[in-house]
Amino acid sequence: MITLTINGRTEQLDVSPETPLLWALRDRLNLTGTKYGCGRAMCGACTVHVDGEAARSCSIMVGEVVGKRITTIEAVSGRVADAVKLAWQRLDVVQCGYCQSGQIMSAITLLSANKRPTDADIDASMEGNICRCGTYVRIRHAIHEAAKALA
Amino acid sequence: MAHAIARAPGKACGRLGLLATLVAMAATTNGQAQTPRISQAQSLAAWDRIASVLQHPRCLNCHQLNAPLQGDRRRPHVPQVSRGSDDHGVSAMRCSSCHNEAGNNQTSGTPGAPHWALAPASMLWQGLTVGELCRMLKDPQRNGNRSAAALVEHMEVDKLVRWGWNPGKGREAVPIPHRDFVELMKTWVGGGMACPS
Repeated sequence: MITLTINGRTEQLDVSPETPLLWALRDRLNLTGTKYGCGRAMCGACTVHVDGEAARSCSIMVGEVVGKRITTIEAVSGRVADAVKLAWQRLDVVQCGYCQSGQIMSAITLLSANKRPTDADIDASMEGNICRCGTYVRIRHAIHEAAKALA
Repeated sequence: MAHAIARAPGKACGRLGLLATLVAMAATTNGQAQTPRISQAQSLAAWDRIASVLQHPRCLNCHQLNAPLQGDRRRPHVPQVSRGSDDHGVSAMRCSSCHNEAGNNQTSGTPGAPHWALAPASMLWQGLTVGELCRMLKDPQRNGNRSAAALVEHMEVDKLVRWGWNPGKGREAVPIPHRDFVELMKTWVGGGMACPS
């Protein structure tokens, strides 16, 4: 039995320690806001927070995150999260939306560590999140917008 | 030496006892009992094989300047990652964002091991000749301040080093068995850590 702290709740899961966190979130806890895109840590659709840092839940095993604070898109909150969500809405960033949970989670991590990221910072930190609809320009714009709001 | 002399009269007597004492004294004195000394040539030969391990993708892929290489084909790591200010990546693209300290993830295919990260920049191995690599490895200023014994121990027990022999599917393990590699390290050290020019 694996005990995880997810979105502030203690969850007991009857899974092996090698189970990818994504499976636990979606299949066992019905937290389907986090998406499966590739299953190989190549697309970022599965991005969650582990102790505030972005993590690819398709790759991180549940055994690895026992005792850590896991946050999904459903529950991410705070000043930075609010600014990011607002910017995403104002700039109408989303097209199909499939990648966007992951994009938002990564953007929140970036802005939490760096209140005024440059384009190069955004390139480097958002590199792991890909968007098949090509909303990159809007994502970048929204991160800059959120940064201004946080200043 | 004194303890061998003090012990022998109590345990054995006569000529056999004296012989046993002399052999024990000789063993205690030179510290290597009856093993032959390792020559510089043997040390050099061992280094040649050690270098083939250090230059294998499992090792060299992370002994890079700013970004790791990936796979047996040593291509740039995809997605693109970089060292960052603390050797563990930049914000939202940390090594631990995808790699598990607990080990390889068979489902996602991402490799993992304790303290997964680029080697320190001082341990840049890419582009070195085998001679340069040799001199770097034995230099405490550039090998994490390790003595020869500490170097051997590192190769023997460090979990990230040992990952090279259990890298997960799709990655070639280091071709020389680990215990042979450790023996080669001991031979290299024992023969004076000889380096080619």
